[in-house]
Amino acid sequence: MIHDPTLRDGQHAVRHRLGLAELRRYAEAADAARIPVVEVGHGNGLGASSLQVGQAAVGDEEMLATVREALRHSRMGVFMLPGWGTSDDLRRAMAHGVDVFRVGVHATEASLAERHLGVLRDAGAEAHCVLMMSHMAAPEELAEQAVRAVGYGAQAVGIMDSAGHFLPADVTARIGAIVEAVDAVPVIFHGHNNLGMAVANSVAAADAGALIIDGCARGFGAGAGNTQLEVLVPVLERSGYATGIDLYALLDAADLAERELMPAPPVTASMSIVSGLAGVFSGFKHRVVELSAAAGVDPRDVFFELGRRQAIAGQEDLIVDVVAELSSRRTDG
Amino acid sequence: MSPAAGLTSARPKVADPVTVAVIGTGAIGRDLVSKIDRSPALDCRLVAGRNPASAGLRYAESLGYATTADGIEALLTAPRPFDVVFDATSAASHRDHWPLLEPLGTLVIDLTPSKVGQMVAPTVTGVSPATGRNVNLISCGGQASVPVVHALAAHFPVSYFEVVSTVASDVAGRATRLNLDEYVATTANAVTTFSGVTDVKAILNISPAVPPATFRTAVHARMADADPVAVRAVAERAAEQVRSFAPGYEVVACTATGDLVTITLEVMAHSDVLPPYAGNLDIINSAAVMVAEQYATRPDRALRAGVAS
Repeated sequence: MIHDPTLRDGQHAVRHRLGLAELRRYAEAADAARIPVVEVGHGNGLGASSLQVGQAAVGDEEMLATVREALRHSRMGVFMLPGWGTSDDLRRAMAHGVDVFRVGVHATEASLAERHLGVLRDAGAEAHCVLMMSHMAAPEELAEQAVRAVGYGAQAVGIMDSAGHFLPADVTARIGAIVEAVDAVPVIFHGHNNLGMAVANSVAAADAGALIIDGCARGFGAGAGNTQLEVLVPVLERSGYATGIDLYALLDAADLAERELMPAPPVTASMSIVSGLAGVFSGFKHRVVELSAAAGVDPRDVFFELGRRQAIAGQEDLIVDVVAELSSRRTDG
Repeated sequence: MSPAAGLTSARPKVADPVTVAVIGTGAIGRDLVSKIDRSPALDCRLVAGRNPASAGLRYAESLGYATTADGIEALLTAPRPFDVVFDATSAASHRDHWPLLEPLGTLVIDLTPSKVGQMVAPTVTGVSPATGRNVNLISCGGQASVPVVHALAAHFPVSYFEVVSTVASDVAGRATRLNLDEYVATTANAVTTFSGVTDVKAILNISPAVPPATFRTAVHARMADADPVAVRAVAERAAEQVRSFAPGYEVVACTATGDLVTITLEVMAHSDVLPPYAGNLDIINSAAVMVAEQYATRPDRALRAGVAS
């Protein structure tokens, strides 16, 4: 089953500035292609519009109302991070007819999702839990966290390769461990393309038993982008996994996305390779490049230093410190 | 050890110490007990938890304090009410505890983000609230950010505040994890209350980085003609005051881009039981202990206890 976060994760590539007309047109195209779930929102999910990560062009409720109208076959999904969004955001989203809720937590912190998975379970909503920055945890640890998430009420559980750091064997080991640990619910894989491995990693995930695979049109997403959806779907089909998606309509949706959602499709630029190698969330890229340029430091050094400090998604405020420190080191030297 | 044993074997420190009880034996409760132990004005008579095997109860026992695993019930059935009760449980539990404690006339110092009592941030509100017997310590991010947002709003035309705190994973216990919604609401409410700025946002990150990251709060402010030097000076003056009770409180960065200013604050813990990075617990507990110590000198407390002042 394919899950399409183009209108959510893609927001990172355009600083969360997608307008309602763009959201509507892509949602209609995705619906026509029979993509099972279309996820929408600020890049960091419900309630996350902020100076810390970027303010959205339009509010959560407007986005949900617009996309809801555009979807006749596809189900509508949202994302939320506990500590950013709240239960009130979830309840407002329910009122807008959201079908699938994803609660994201850092790889080792499933217990942060306990409250919100419980709220969703009690409301009878479909709730998934995704473990982000999953390269920072070993397969056994991820499996243990996944079991906890299922215990809290997650009806699907999985991992995000938020930094685009994995090679296929890493994915096989992690998805394999999770599938074995949680046989009752489907397992999710969400890839990023920093090292050019997103589609290969997604096939490895499916081969290891993942049943829900994420992909974005033209790979629309932070840095080097996500798994490219219109490549992923036919590759999965050729590998023997039925997706139920109409190929031509999918290609049309991807063309529309390239034309209307993004200034240019993501490329694996040098800085994205560095962030993938450093294991740092791709969403940090804009601020790293901007602040490094202003301070006259090498943004590649900034990424490797952020990786050394194990910066997790949401800690964008650390960039300022790292840039200042590298800048003062340079002056001192 | 029974509560009654603790009540008869008081450890007087000054002529008339305030008798206190602590409910909750997680990371906050444990540090609180260590700070109460250091305070000559406070006499800890009971530490109440729910789990007989908790490390927090064992720690309190090791200091010679009476402990119980009967939770709030042990406080309610104590032969004589405590002057002060510290509630270090969770927001939901505090909402249950308050109606039970209120009739006792006890001063309740709430360390959960319950929004029930009167908010205190020592350098902004003082530590002796004029009304009410329920004092709320807001949240760790509230204690870190309120002094700075209060000072900035008094000096600059701020139109928006955002406070983003990062806490190390191993000092964020289960109650904290279950209370993220309350953390967000209570912290944002405090920022608005003490700055007058209505457009605000609060965010909490929990980081498992190794070695653990020191507790930090980034205050983002939108203001016209931001001058980072003037802003930093105002923030430094506020920080200096906070250091009177939380010595590890520091302004570590101040940057301005266009109309956006970011001030980064860090708090190192100065505690007998906490690692240095756990400034989140240190700052809220230091504030709580100050409120209790101040109460020791209040005439209404002396009257209630039947002691001439």
